[in-house]
Amino acid sequence: MFAAKWNDFTPAQRAHTRRVLWLLLIYAIVLPPLVWLRATTSVAGYVPAAMAVVASLPVLGIFASWGRYLSDENDEYHQALTLRRIAIATNATMGAAVVWGFLQAFGVMPLFEAYWVPFVWVVMQGAFGCMAVFSRDRAGA
Amino acid sequence: MRFNPAMKRYNWHVGWLSLLYAAFLLAAVYGFRHHLFSGPGAYVAAVLPALPIIGIFGAMGRYLVEEQDEYVRMLMVRQSLWASGFALSLATIWGFLESFGLVGHIDAYYVAVVWFGGLGVGACMNKLTLGAPVGC
Repeated sequence: MFAAKWNDFTPAQRAHTRRVLWLLLIYAIVLPPLVWLRATTSVAGYVPAAMAVVASLPVLGIFASWGRYLSDENDEYHQALTLRRIAIATNATMGAAVVWGFLQAFGVMPLFEAYWVPFVWVVMQGAFGCMAVFSRDRAGA
Repeated sequence: MRFNPAMKRYNWHVGWLSLLYAAFLLAAVYGFRHHLFSGPGAYVAAVLPALPIIGIFGAMGRYLVEEQDEYVRMLMVRQSLWASGFALSLATIWGFLESFGLVGHIDAYYVAVVWFGGLGVGACMNKLTLGAPVGC
């Protein structure tokens, strides 16, 4: 089933998927030692800030990969679908961030780390991607 | 600069929504400062100023659908993509800095504020890469 789906991908989608998987692997390798170092040692100065930036680099790479995918994609239909998905995910994520932000500002909800906003965006992308694949399967069935 | 009908409608929507935002925000700040809200009412009062901003995102989406000039639409799409990349990247970096205890927590709506700032970054990128006649 996975091989069939992989063959349905355009070359740009395959390259994007490969890049994202590599970046997730790097993220999974880099994050635990950084968290462990921060929790168990007392590094000071610019080192903790550098560690925090290093931890975020693979995620930034994933955003850059989306940008590269959009410029590499030759199939205008797929490009338009991706743009639509990004627009919906961005609007929904920013809307959620604004609502939660005002709830925080008026003291009715707790504060949280800002990386949960990109996390919600990525989850929405994944959800819309799955919906697109399943609706295509249903249409083809 | 001459505005086409889609741009005029967008500016009109954003103008009204900004006024609504100012009104809701002032009312909410006044209410919370004077302890007028409690229970579910506090949640409603806190969410009200967020609604016009969500409306502005909606107005932008509607503008992209209604814009007939494909070149102008492409510029706007590029601009919003740069804004999204900029805001989400800064949120990721800030999140890890918070997580490592180096900076304080911020209210989540600042991500949206950075997104609107990112539209300026997108306009500059359009100008630099395409020579687009957009203010930067």
